[in-house]
Amino acid sequence: MSQPVKTRGPEGSIEKAHNSIDTANGSIALSRRNFLKAAGVTGGGLVLGVSLTGCLSRPALQTRADTLSPNAFLQITSDNVVRFYCPRDEMGQGITTGLATIIAEELDIHPQLIEVKLAGVHADYVNPGMGIQGTGASKSVREHYTQLRQAGADTRALLIHAAAQEKGVNPKDITTDNGAIIVDGARFQFGEFAEKAAKLSLDQQVLLKPSDQFKYIGTDFGRVDAVEKSTGTAMYGIDAELPGMRYAVVKHIPVAGASIKSVNEDSIKNMPGVLHIKTLPTGVGVVAERYWQAKKAAAALEVEWELPELANVNSAQIKSDYQAALSEGGEVGVEQGDLGQGFAAATTVVESEYWAPYLAHAPMEPMNALVRVGKDDAEVWSGTQMPQPMRGLVARHAGLSADKVTVHPVYMGGAFGRRSFMSHVIEATILAKETGEPIKVVWSRESDMQNGVYRPASLMTLKAGVDENGKISAWAAKRVGGNINPDMMRTMLPAVLPGLVPEGATNFVADIIESFNESWSIDSASIEGLCENYDFPNREARHVTVNHGLPLMFWRAVGHSFTAFAKEVMIDELAEQAKLDPVDFRIANTETNPRLQNVIRLAGERMKHLEVPAGHSLGFAAHGSFESDVAQVAQVSVDSGKIRVHKVVCVIDCGRAINPDIVKGQIEGSIMFGLTAALYGDIQLENGAVKESNFHNYPILRMNESPEVEVIIVKNDDAPTGAGEPGLPPIAPAVANAVYQATGQRLRSLPLTLA
Amino acid sequence: MIEFTLNGQVVQTDDTPDTPLLWVVRDTFKLKGSKFGCGAALCGACTMHIEGAAVKTCVLPVSAVAGKSITTIEGIGTPDTMSAMQAAWAEQGVPQCGYCQSGQIMAATALLSNNPNPSDGDIEQAMSGNICRCGCYPRIMQAIKSVAVQSQKDAAEVASISKATEVFL
Repeated sequence: MSQPVKTRGPEGSIEKAHNSIDTANGSIALSRRNFLKAAGVTGGGLVLGVSLTGCLSRPALQTRADTLSPNAFLQITSDNVVRFYCPRDEMGQGITTGLATIIAEELDIHPQLIEVKLAGVHADYVNPGMGIQGTGASKSVREHYTQLRQAGADTRALLIHAAAQEKGVNPKDITTDNGAIIVDGARFQFGEFAEKAAKLSLDQQVLLKPSDQFKYIGTDFGRVDAVEKSTGTAMYGIDAELPGMRYAVVKHIPVAGASIKSVNEDSIKNMPGVLHIKTLPTGVGVVAERYWQAKKAAAALEVEWELPELANVNSAQIKSDYQAALSEGGEVGVEQGDLGQGFAAATTVVESEYWAPYLAHAPMEPMNALVRVGKDDAEVWSGTQMPQPMRGLVARHAGLSADKVTVHPVYMGGAFGRRSFMSHVIEATILAKETGEPIKVVWSRESDMQNGVYRPASLMTLKAGVDENGKISAWAAKRVGGNINPDMMRTMLPAVLPGLVPEGATNFVADIIESFNESWSIDSASIEGLCENYDFPNREARHVTVNHGLPLMFWRAVGHSFTAFAKEVMIDELAEQAKLDPVDFRIANTETNPRLQNVIRLAGERMKHLEVPAGHSLGFAAHGSFESDVAQVAQVSVDSGKIRVHKVVCVIDCGRAINPDIVKGQIEGSIMFGLTAALYGDIQLENGAVKESNFHNYPILRMNESPEVEVIIVKNDDAPTGAGEPGLPPIAPAVANAVYQATGQRLRSLPLTLA
Repeated sequence: MIEFTLNGQVVQTDDTPDTPLLWVVRDTFKLKGSKFGCGAALCGACTMHIEGAAVKTCVLPVSAVAGKSITTIEGIGTPDTMSAMQAAWAEQGVPQCGYCQSGQIMAATALLSNNPNPSDGDIEQAMSGNICRCGCYPRIMQAIKSVAVQSQKDAAEVASISKATEVFL
C-alpha cells in the first residue's frame, strides 16, 4: 500500500519544521529577541514563582533541583532569558502582546525583550472570568490585568531582595530599569540574581505601580508576533507534523444530526494511498498516506445517510416559523417600570420588525487537528479557544484520564468563536486511537462552511414610544430564535466532565438546559443588547425559543451582533418620526450612561466636521458591549443598488488601552468583519443542508471594498474593558442608517439589500 | 518524478501530477509558510511566485510547474533577513491572526516588482484576490505604500548619485 517516497527538499527545511515544535514542555516559542540569543545556552536557570494552585498539583512550569517557581507566568534563567507563559490563546487579537505588556510593566522590562510562550493546559492558567481555561468574550485583558501586574511586581521584588543581599545594600536603595537592577548606579541583568532570588520568598504581595509611572502600558511598540507572522514562520495547528503521521479527510454528514446508513468501502479502497476507512460521529474518515490522496478518496466514497428532521427544513420555513411564533407572549427576560404608562405618555410610537440570518465564522485556517494516541498517553496540536476542554475531549475519546493528555498550544488562524467547537479534534482522536497512528485531520473550506456551528438567526420586534420631551418613554422588545447555551453545553460538558460520565448523560443535561431556555429561563446571549444602553425607564424584553436543530455557537460579539442592529435602526426611526436629530436624541436618552453618552457626543462632533463628497451620506450608531462603549459614523454611497462604505469613524471607550495600536487594529478588524455580515453574510438552508460552500457564495469583504477607518480612543485611566468585539455591533446599523439617508429605504433585514 | 526549482534549489517529487503545488510544497518539502485557505483559488492564502508572477497554488497541479522556478514566503526573507515588504508588514503591525499574510506579502511583492509606484486603486486591484478575515486591509495598504515610497526614494537617490558621478566624470 505504501509507495516509496523519494524526495529531496531545500536543505534544512525539514529540520526547521520539526524544530519549531518544542514537544518537551508543550509550548512553542513565540519570540526570541536577538539579545537573548546572544545570552547563550540556557542551563542552571531559575524559575521564579509560587504555584497558584499550591503544592497539591504539579506546578505549571517544570522546575529543576536548583530552581523555584513563584508563579506560573514568569521564568527568569541565570543566563538572563526572561520568559512569559501567556495564559490566554492567540487568535489574532494580540493577547500575547497585551498580557506581556501588563506583566512587563511591573517587572520593569521592555515587552519586546521578553520571550513569550503560549502556556500549556494547567489549573494556574484558568481564565478568572470563565472558571475554565478558555479565551473569548473580550475578557482576557480585563480578567488578567491585576493578576499579571501582581505577578510581575512580586517577581521584581524578589530580584531586588536578592540583589540587596548579594551587594549588601538596603532594598530601598535599589531601582530597576528595563531588565536591569541598578545598585549604586551600576546596572546588573535580572538573570544575575535569578538563582539567589529563587531561594527567597515574600511575606506579602508588594504594592503595584501608580499608573502615572507606566512606561509600557499605553504605548505602541509593535506586536511580539509580528516578525513570525510576516515571514511564514509562525506555527498554526495545520503546520504540525509527527513522524509516521497519516492524513485524514472526513466525508461529512450532509445535514447536522444525520448519521451513516451504509458505507461502500469498495468504492475507494483500491485508490492510491488509502489506508483506513472509519465511521465517525460526524461522517466517514478516510485515512491516507498523503493529504491529496485522502481528499480524492473521500470525495469518491459512496455513503448512504440517515437524515434527521432538519432535512425537511428550508430557510423560508425557518423564517415563517419565527413569524408565527411572534404571536406568542414568550418568556420575560427584562422588565422595568410600567410599559402601559410609558406608551400612554408617548407622542410618537413606532413598531418595526428586524431580521438577522445565520452566519458562519469562516476563519482563514480551516479546522484541523493532529492527534497521537499512545497506550498510556496522548497529545494534540490544534488551535483552540478552549484548550482545557480540548484536553478533556481527547481524553474522553482516547479512553485516558485528562492528565495523560498533552495539549501543544499553537496559533489560531482566526477563531471568532468558531474554535470553541471541536468536532475535528474528536475525529482525529477516534481515528488515532482506532488506527494506532498519529492522525492529522484537515477540513476543506466546504466542510468548514457546511459542517460548523453558526451565529443564530433572529427575528426581532421593537415597539417604542417617545414623549413630548424627546425621551424614550416605552421600549418593548421581543426576539424569536434559537439559543447558543444548550449547544455550547453539548460541546463543553463531555469535555469538562470526566470520561466515566457517559455522553448520553451529558447530552441529557444539555437537553434539560434547552428545555429551561424554552420554558422559564432565557439564555442571556439571545437578548443581550436588545434593551440596554439607553435610559429606558419603562422597558421589557421577551423571548420565544424556536429551534430547528442547526448547531449554534458564539460568533464575534455574540448576541450584540444582531441586537444592536435592531436597536440602533429603531433609535434612528424614532428620532426621524419625532423629528429629532439622531445624535442629539441619543445624547438626550443616555443620561444614566455617561460613558456611552460621551462617545456619542465625540462621534457626533466628528460627524459634523467630516467632509462629505456629493452623493455620499452619513449614518450613526452607538452600542455598549463587553463593558466598552462605541459610537460609529458610516459614510456610504449607493450606486445602481450597490452599497459602498467609504469611511467609518469609530470612537471607543475601553478604559485604559494597554496597546492603543492593537486596540485600533481590533476596531478596524471588527468593522471589516461586521461589514462582511452587513453586506453579504447569509447562511441559507436547503433541505437542512447549508447551501453556501466557499468564498464565491459566502463572500468576505475584500480590500477593494473596504473603507478607510478612523479610530478615536477615549483617554480613560479606568481599568481596561473589552476590545476584540465591541467595535462590531454598531457598524451594520450605522450603514443601514446611512443607506436610509441616501435612498429613503429603511432596511431592517440583514444582509442589507436594496429594493 | 516532477522536477522544479524551489527557492533557488532544484527539487524532485513523486507526488501524483494532479497534486496541487501547495500540498507538495507544504507536505513533501515541509515549507509551511504558504497556507491552505479555500482550495478553490478564491482567498489567496496559498500565493507563491512562479517565474516571478503571483499565482494561487491550491488548485495548480504540480505537473504544471515542471521545470519552472517557484518562490515561497520562505524564499523572500527570514526573520533575520526580512525583505523590505516583510519588514514593512512587521513595522506597520499588519498581521493579526497572520494566517493569510504570507499570501498577502507574496501578492504585494509581485505587485511592486511589476509596478513600483502603484496608485491606491492599483493596490486595491492587485490585492483584491487575497482575503483577510481579520480585516487588516488598511494596514496592508499602508505597508505597501511605505515600501513603494521608500523604493522611489532609493531610486531617486541612486539616480541623483549616478547623475552627480556623471558630472564629475
